[in-house]
Amino acid sequence: MKRPPRTHRVVAVVAVVTLVLPAVLRESALSVYILLELAAIVTVGVSLLMGYAGQVSLGQAAFYASGANAAALLSLHGFPTGIGLLVAPIVAAVFALIVGIPLLRLRGHHLAFATLATQLIYLSMVGRMHLTGGDIGLQGIPPLTLGPFVLHADRNYAYLAWAALALVVLITHNVMTSRPGRALRALATSEVAAESSGVPVGRYKLAVFALAAGFAGLAGGIYAFYVGYVAPGSFPVLLSFEYVVMAVVGGLGTIEGALVGAALVTVVVQSLNQVATLGGMPSYAPIVLSYAAYSGLLIVAVLFLPQGIVDKERLRALATRWRARWTTPR
Amino acid sequence: MSAFLSYLVSGIAVGCGFALIGSGLVIIHRVTHVVNLSQGMYAVVAALSAATFLAAGLPHGVAELCAVLVAVVAGLLTGLVAIGRRGTTPLSSLIITFAVGIFAYAVEVLTWGDQPRSFPGLPGAIEIANVRVQEQYLLVVVASAAIFLALDLFFERAYLGKALSACSSNPYAARVVGIDVTRMGLFAFALGGALGGLAGVLLGPLRPTSFDSDVSLVIEGFAAAILGGLTRPILALMGGLLLGVAEAMVAGYVNGSYQTDVALVLMLAVMIGQTARRPSLDAEGQ
Repeated sequence: MKRPPRTHRVVAVVAVVTLVLPAVLRESALSVYILLELAAIVTVGVSLLMGYAGQVSLGQAAFYASGANAAALLSLHGFPTGIGLLVAPIVAAVFALIVGIPLLRLRGHHLAFATLATQLIYLSMVGRMHLTGGDIGLQGIPPLTLGPFVLHADRNYAYLAWAALALVVLITHNVMTSRPGRALRALATSEVAAESSGVPVGRYKLAVFALAAGFAGLAGGIYAFYVGYVAPGSFPVLLSFEYVVMAVVGGLGTIEGALVGAALVTVVVQSLNQVATLGGMPSYAPIVLSYAAYSGLLIVAVLFLPQGIVDKERLRALATRWRARWTTPR
Repeated sequence: MSAFLSYLVSGIAVGCGFALIGSGLVIIHRVTHVVNLSQGMYAVVAALSAATFLAAGLPHGVAELCAVLVAVVAGLLTGLVAIGRRGTTPLSSLIITFAVGIFAYAVEVLTWGDQPRSFPGLPGAIEIANVRVQEQYLLVVVASAAIFLALDLFFERAYLGKALSACSSNPYAARVVGIDVTRMGLFAFALGGALGGLAGVLLGPLRPTSFDSDVSLVIEGFAAAILGGLTRPILALMGGLLLGVAEAMVAGYVNGSYQTDVALVLMLAVMIGQTARRPSLDAEGQ
């Protein structure tokens, strides 16, 4: 199936703009941009899992953290940093496979609680282990070295995260348009119906769970090299909540939704942060405003925009109307 | 032996607290099919309010009562947002209650700051069979027993309680006989708020409460409730007691930092065990 050329043009414009941005952004904006890209990588996975395959995960930050920890541990123990980055998504995916085998039998709110519990158990285990530096975490992670290039500058990490995001989007797009993608769509509606039509429900759910975790692990690996230290405190429950907010606000089950959601939520929260750190604001203002913004956005999106901001039906209707206006002879 | 008994008593008392939170989850789930992720928040709000009211000079009893009323209001507000809009699916409502819990963080940090707070309960301790038992533990146990008895009477005898049960067993038939299902759902949320609030004011003197204590509280309440399959408050009481005692024993004999993991692992094991016994078509029909 060929995509219509208009979609190609949009993708090309977005790609060019997002590639130019790191070159023009100021230092502080650049770090926000990198975190946005990393969040978008995780959110694409969350959106695929929740919207497309119908499985809720409230503990996605656990997989992000496992990728970060794997990358940090390997590079601190003398392995090439490139190997660390490569292993990060694999570790996260294997972790998801192991917990997914029992957990994915659960549905709906049971699965939501189980994934939340997984994250809490993971954090408390990591916080107690010597290997991972306990509550203090791992420090002094060397910068990423890929062949002859040592990634020191923020700008390099922005491009690295861009490439990772592009890869994740490409994989997700291929999954969605493939035969397994349609099977996932089917099992999201009814597992019994899907099963009786010959869809290997258990295996597919596990595969998409592991894939989403792998995305999160990849983002976590980049995060570890970019920030240089990882501690259990860097991956609170709020982080998992953030990914759900981004996916739901943008519109579950679509790549565009995940990207727009991640961008929009990041921009809103960062703008509020700017306001909150102005002179005269109390010291707790940033955290209060970000809690309020995340939860407010999520409630409004769930109640009033069930298809998310990027509602294809509505956008298509708008586009048709505009095209009609432009093509009518005057 | 005396160490064992004192662990047992503290485990039972804390378990009663979990059971109160868990029974709130059960009641809300029965009536609305929503699992209320902000259930732990009511306990936090009540505990922090009680500390403020006591500091403002209200006498014991009145301060705790006012704090529970604050929790009832919080429960009602959660219900309005989560199920007030027609056509919100239970899973959407679950995500909304999660969001309400996070929104409450903003309000709590604004009102009480981000440091944990505690407040005095019953100060004394009495000697039972050579074991010193803090009177607050006894208060928690006695109060919880009274609350569960009242809940049981309420669901068995009171008209309103029967209406709530009707909504849970068949919402359509309940509507046919003239029961306003949405209003009953809101009532369930208010009742859930009250139960969470009671847990908060009873446990408040035993463990300091901070704005983000709600995650562990709701997990422990859910673990207690899931042992009874989220169906009856009295089963949540059993689950809560089992969990509280198990946690106290692990904290006493193994290591205090493992006690939350006990709740989590127990909860996961029970949920997976229950799902394995139930055919998937059943689960989808819900």
